[in-house]
Amino acid sequence: MERDMRGRGNPWTPSGLIGQFSLSNNVSSPTLDKETEDAATDNDRSDSGEFVVTMLAKAKLEEQGIGVKGRSSPLLEVGTQETPAFISHRDEDVTAESWRQHRKHVFVLSEAGKPIYSRYGSEEALSSTMGVMMALVSFVQSGDNIIRSEHIVVFLQKGPLVLVCVSSSRQTEQQLRGELLYVYYQIISMLTQASISRIFEHKKNYDLRRLLAGSEKILDGLLNLLDSDPSFLLAAVHCLPLACSLRDSLSQILQKAITPNLVFSILIARNQLLTIVQEKTVIEDARLEPADVHLLLNLIGASSAFQAGEIWTPICLPLFNPDCYFYAYISYLDPPECTVCLLLLSTDKEAFYAVAECKRKIEEAMMAQNSLSLIAKVQSYSVSQVGVSDLRHFMYKPFDVTGCFITYSKMEAPYSSEEEKMRLLDLYRYMHNRIHSTSRPLKLIYHVAERETLLAWVTSKFELYTCFSPLVTKACAITAITKLLRWIKKEEDRMNSLKLVLFPYLS
Amino acid sequence: VLTAARMASGMQEKQYTPSLLNFFVYNPTFGQKEGEEEKKILFYHPSDVEKNEKIRNVGLCEAIVQFTRTFCPTKPAKSLHTQKNRQFFFEPEDNFWIVMVVRNPMIEKPNKDGKPPTVEYQEEEIIDTVYGAVVKQCYSMYKLFNGTFGRQMEAGGVELLIQKLEKFFYRYLQTLHLQSCDLLDVFGGISFFPLDKMTYLKIQSFVNRVEESLSLIKYTAFLYNDQLIWSGLEQDDMRILYKYLTTSLFPRHSEPELAGRDSPLRPEVAGNLLHYGRFLTGPTNLKDPEAKFRFPKIFVSTEDGYEELHLIVYKAMSAAACFMISASVELTRDFCEQLDGLVGPQLTLLASDICEQFTVNRRISGPEKEPQFKFIYFNHMNLAEKSTIHMRKTASVCLTSVHPDLMKILGDINCDFARVDEDEEIIVKAMTDYWVVGKKSDQRELYVILNQKNANLIEVNEEVKRLCATQFNNIFFLD
Repeated sequence: MERDMRGRGNPWTPSGLIGQFSLSNNVSSPTLDKETEDAATDNDRSDSGEFVVTMLAKAKLEEQGIGVKGRSSPLLEVGTQETPAFISHRDEDVTAESWRQHRKHVFVLSEAGKPIYSRYGSEEALSSTMGVMMALVSFVQSGDNIIRSEHIVVFLQKGPLVLVCVSSSRQTEQQLRGELLYVYYQIISMLTQASISRIFEHKKNYDLRRLLAGSEKILDGLLNLLDSDPSFLLAAVHCLPLACSLRDSLSQILQKAITPNLVFSILIARNQLLTIVQEKTVIEDARLEPADVHLLLNLIGASSAFQAGEIWTPICLPLFNPDCYFYAYISYLDPPECTVCLLLLSTDKEAFYAVAECKRKIEEAMMAQNSLSLIAKVQSYSVSQVGVSDLRHFMYKPFDVTGCFITYSKMEAPYSSEEEKMRLLDLYRYMHNRIHSTSRPLKLIYHVAERETLLAWVTSKFELYTCFSPLVTKACAITAITKLLRWIKKEEDRMNSLKLVLFPYLS
Repeated sequence: VLTAARMASGMQEKQYTPSLLNFFVYNPTFGQKEGEEEKKILFYHPSDVEKNEKIRNVGLCEAIVQFTRTFCPTKPAKSLHTQKNRQFFFEPEDNFWIVMVVRNPMIEKPNKDGKPPTVEYQEEEIIDTVYGAVVKQCYSMYKLFNGTFGRQMEAGGVELLIQKLEKFFYRYLQTLHLQSCDLLDVFGGISFFPLDKMTYLKIQSFVNRVEESLSLIKYTAFLYNDQLIWSGLEQDDMRILYKYLTTSLFPRHSEPELAGRDSPLRPEVAGNLLHYGRFLTGPTNLKDPEAKFRFPKIFVSTEDGYEELHLIVYKAMSAAACFMISASVELTRDFCEQLDGLVGPQLTLLASDICEQFTVNRRISGPEKEPQFKFIYFNHMNLAEKSTIHMRKTASVCLTSVHPDLMKILGDINCDFARVDEDEEIIVKAMTDYWVVGKKSDQRELYVILNQKNANLIEVNEEVKRLCATQFNNIFFLD
């Protein structure tokens, strides 16, 4: 089969990498480290998930010039492609006041106290702090614990991993625990839970950084998103507001481009969801959880590595199934701007060429319908469209049976700076926590503060967060909300038209 | 503590309220050498815990405090949340730490087939600010009767401190009723008795007269019906003394007073038909020359430290006067008789005057059978607190006329107010359709609970405005 050798589907270039490894299992290296050797031998005996782990491990050795030819998985390459402008937090001085002043620290370590990841500062420099953390965890034992001071320290243990967050952000322990869970799931998305369990069962003080080296950028990116993206707070996915007809046509295009073992087809534009199409008979009623979509969006957005042609890489969807890999075909449809991304997930690791063929069909159909320029014209909502003068910002999440999607307006003045955006989100976070309290939940919160007035409202049909200027009267606020809900109803077909489309299996 | 069992579809759920698990006082700078860790522990409850476990628990607290100092050296750990319990850390004096461990409330659900019941811990029920305030209050109360730890160390070293801690906390901890702690504990406020100007002046001149005649008296406080009218003490001292009087001393002595004139329970008026005054502290029977008596000693703050005083509490009907005299003076029987003779008649008269005024006022303003508004008010500047929700609040009883969940919502709003200095307003609608309105304005906080299920935000706002206009003279002006 002749393939275009210019970096598209070529098994000997980074983009075709996994294809290479899956074709030849006889890769061996005399200089394999004993540890990895052990892990490797163990894994060789088991199923494909571990096979990939082994390969990744070997790939790491390649980077160091030992053993097999070729380069490492593009998934893990993301960390190494750092632009000169990227300030590495890894080298921060952990004794400095500036280190202490970070809003939120996140640490990941193994049960044995071995450091795995630190958001600010290198793991080596923090090894004694991590040692103390480990001691605290084992001392206090049962379950997850938090320490409250000016900062709040949350400990979370998941299997052999311990995650710690030290935050002065005034978020609640539940919210921070949720964020640590996301970090855990992102690690799982790269390695699978089964592999991690097995590795640590076999060797309690294994250094997981060997398998995660290069992925710090992904975790950094996730933590930044958790701080700044409202969709995490509401556990829903943000979609671009497309007209029903456009979304339907895109879904149909995806629906028609299928191949055996293809289970999910996902179209993303500007880091927001356009549509998801799901194979019905294999997956049936199981759906992609918003968290899995968030993790995918982060993986793709966290690096520019995926902008080079086509990528074929193993990905685990932790909430869907934490123990196995899917194989993801990732390609941007509009180089060099790279705003529209196609993601095709298959259960068959050999299916690269077949899946690439699907992409070609999709590309053709979209070209015929001029989809790309239509997508480019779509704008995120702005509050001015609603036509209420006191309203500054809103977030709306309908309780829809078919999906968890959220709509929100752009953050505009006076929330233009990063700090102000964070501050507003913090306010929403605190309201979210109060409204969804497990012991004393609320229906409505109206909070008049110095710089803004906020209203949060939960009904059986939706959840709404709004922000007004501080001088708004209660009467005006009520009128504004009514107007907003009416406007939302009008826009409903754009917002709620994103329903998961299920396509039948065709042999 | 086990409270009423609930029947739920034939199976009984048991609700356990929060309870005290541990309470200890330690200083990490004592016993820093290996093998001497026990020296750090100055008080530990329950005392029958094995020595090593005590050391381990204290060690954990030290580790946590150290760890949090890594991130914020000046403000270390305040609490530790685990699934089963909550630990509170408080450093009242340099290197002296008080730690209280509270077991989270829980529900025990029975299982079928003889399986052990499942326990569900309700972590969210415990509000940190409430129990944090309780720990601080424990220290304040100790300090009122014993002075600071530092002072004890100076007076008699570690041994004396250990002794005093044991003596005080052994009894005091038994009076802690953690299941009834709420927002009022956060405030630690004082309920003031509303008086007209004339009566207030009468009381002031009474205090002046007594202080002039009995020059030994350094400070006076005047209360009526568990409410404060006048105090010559510093605010912080008065607030803890007030708590002691209203939750400990007065309740102990209230039973006999309520009994009828001819009841055998009535205390010996000792043949004194001139007045109804008697000592609540000190000599219970002046007529008996052999009876020994002593006054409790308290410590109050001065510009340059502390002074120790005798606490004389003298009561006539519903009026109580506290006289504080330097502890260096020996108070003789003669002095007590002198005080009794001087204060008794005047206080009795004053008490009936106040009672009369009070009745007159009530007739004018109309009887308050059920207060129209359920609210809690607190003024940070003068510590004045008022609650129409609490019907009786002593150390052991807290009767509130609203559901405990609503009280916790008030606690949450108070926490939210504490995050910023500016004036704010928070209105929430609970799942039960009750509305709760919180207003913070100028060092004052007001919480109102409205049972108006079908009201909307604007109507609720109007209701609260009405309350503010009548009761608070519009000090809470917003919107």
